[in-house]
Amino acid sequence: MSKNLKQKLVAYGMVLPAFLVVMLTVAYPIVSAVIQSFQDGSTGEFTLANYTYFFTDAAQRSNLLYTLYIVIVTVVIAIVAAYLLALYLRFVKSKISRAIGMLYLLPRFVPAMCAVYAMITIIRDTGLINRIGQLFGVNINLGMMYHASGIITMNLWFNIPFAAMMIAAGLGGIPDSIIEAASDVGAGKLRIFRTMILPLSVKDVVVAATFVFMSNVSSFTTPYLMGGNAPKMLGIALFDQFNRYLDYNRSAALSVIMFLICSVSAGVYIYTNLKENDWEK
Amino acid sequence: MKKMKVKALIAALMAGVMTVGMMGMTGCGGGSSDSESGSSDDKTITIWATGSDNVRQIYETLVEDFNENSDYAGEYTAELQFMLSGTGTQSLSDMLAAAYKANQTNTDYDLVDLSGDDLSKIVSQIGEEALVKLDDSKIPNADRVSAESTVATDYVQPYRGTTVVLAYDSETVTNPPTTMDELTEWIKANPGRFAYNAPGTGGAGDSFARTAVYNFMPEEAITSDDPSWEEQWDEGFDYLKDIHDSMYSSGGSIVYPNKNQGTLDLLNQGEIDMCPNWADMVLSQRAEGTLKDSIKITQIDPAFTGSLQSLAIPTFGSNEDGAYAFIDYMLTDAAQEIMVRQMAAIPLVDTSNIDMTGYEDIQNLDVNNFRIMSIGDLSTDFNQRWDSEIGAGN
Repeated sequence: MSKNLKQKLVAYGMVLPAFLVVMLTVAYPIVSAVIQSFQDGSTGEFTLANYTYFFTDAAQRSNLLYTLYIVIVTVVIAIVAAYLLALYLRFVKSKISRAIGMLYLLPRFVPAMCAVYAMITIIRDTGLINRIGQLFGVNINLGMMYHASGIITMNLWFNIPFAAMMIAAGLGGIPDSIIEAASDVGAGKLRIFRTMILPLSVKDVVVAATFVFMSNVSSFTTPYLMGGNAPKMLGIALFDQFNRYLDYNRSAALSVIMFLICSVSAGVYIYTNLKENDWEK
Repeated sequence: MKKMKVKALIAALMAGVMTVGMMGMTGCGGGSSDSESGSSDDKTITIWATGSDNVRQIYETLVEDFNENSDYAGEYTAELQFMLSGTGTQSLSDMLAAAYKANQTNTDYDLVDLSGDDLSKIVSQIGEEALVKLDDSKIPNADRVSAESTVATDYVQPYRGTTVVLAYDSETVTNPPTTMDELTEWIKANPGRFAYNAPGTGGAGDSFARTAVYNFMPEEAITSDDPSWEEQWDEGFDYLKDIHDSMYSSGGSIVYPNKNQGTLDLLNQGEIDMCPNWADMVLSQRAEGTLKDSIKITQIDPAFTGSLQSLAIPTFGSNEDGAYAFIDYMLTDAAQEIMVRQMAAIPLVDTSNIDMTGYEDIQNLDVNNFRIMSIGDLSTDFNQRWDSEIGAGN
């Protein structure tokens, strides 16, 4: 056996366990779910009915639109807020900005369940805000519980720090020297931002947006505890199909639909990364 | 050097195994040393139970008490096999059916704890002959219990009750409804102050929605899984639609919270004044101080559903006498008191010798009036119809 072949075998041998685990726990379930999604529940014959159900049934269609609405609003607000926060942390040097720089990651360390219950205690119609209002004789009913606004608020709580962290890392890579150089030749703040900072950080913004998008499409805990009965987010709709109606073929179809929605943002992510390689050439 | 290490490791392991083994032997032996350790001797009783974590805790306490303090201590040793519900594994009733159909004998299914639903499932799957017809002379304490299971009456021994009740805040509701009609009237007169959790997310909401529908149907429908009954659901669903607009609302739309705890939280926060819930959930949380003291429970007529928890001896178990002994123990004042105080279970024996302080409300619940429901797989259709007609009906 040549030395080269031996080395190759060792290398494959080392990759093999990880490869098998991925095939067994990721690839196989995906393939079988896709197959199941095209099968009739009782006869096992080929059908598209599992898919058409989710696009023709009025309740299911509104679930889909509701999910997209919540996710897109979350992405837009979270990214704008995170970008402003990251800019502040990068370019303002003060005690306050350093303090915020340390504190803003704190939400990442609070367990999701605790955070959701904490938010519920604050915003519910008899919550903290209502009780503070009553001290001043006003009855504030936010109406955010069991409503899209509550879910979006909670999503922002989770996602702004996350997105800000990713964008801040990108902004940190912009050297002070180029900004100083631009400013030396007379560029105003707005111009520096528009022509230098924004183009240099836009890739991180897009990547952060895709991550926020994907993690929210399939969210479960927040909409389960804070959402209403109808419409529902897709994570809950999937839970209903699987655990309450025991309809595994429709569950598989809905999983594939959610996968496709996420893959749009995955495509954007891959495209952005490839473009960077182009630019680096 | 390497070999030495391996040898030392093996020696240490062996020593460990032997010590554990010896401890096990002496633990099981408890005096008489002629019996072998293991589950097949005639001293060990293996008890199978399933449910939420509070059921596991209560059974661990009861098994320990049986082994150490009961009249049977030393004579028998109980061992618990517990399966947490909702973890996606094979259910206890399926396991029993499988063992029976595979003609297994002398298994360690010595004694099984069954809910009303599980019992109906077993009876429909393998029939009551799979259980030992109970000989009351071997259960001296059975005389103290008058409650009887509606299914397989002679084959199971009920030992505690559980039921859905109407929970209300006595500060805002001074005169709670006593009938379903009064409740309906109250709901309509106080829009937004009543909620039940979405069916399929917790037993209390299931019970409210199903009894509301089955109140319009013949009595025998409630214990049948015949799909033809579905045709008669319309009137009940119309009723649920009728009260829909008077339910709790938030953010401008009607809300049916998820899970039993969802409505209980609303009640505790004062966002609603009334909701259906499990008697044991309300009472044990009130005793722990997580619910306001002003929250009280009452039963209405016709009642919400309840059920009797029973013990049964499969014919294919291996320690019938031991099983009888444990059943007898479960009906003693000591065991019943443990169940009252730890899980707010409804005791089935006379409570005059039981310390009911803090749990007085339980005494007013009469297990003989419990309405047992078992509609089997119809519940899946029921939930689906509820979701599309009521839940999505905003």
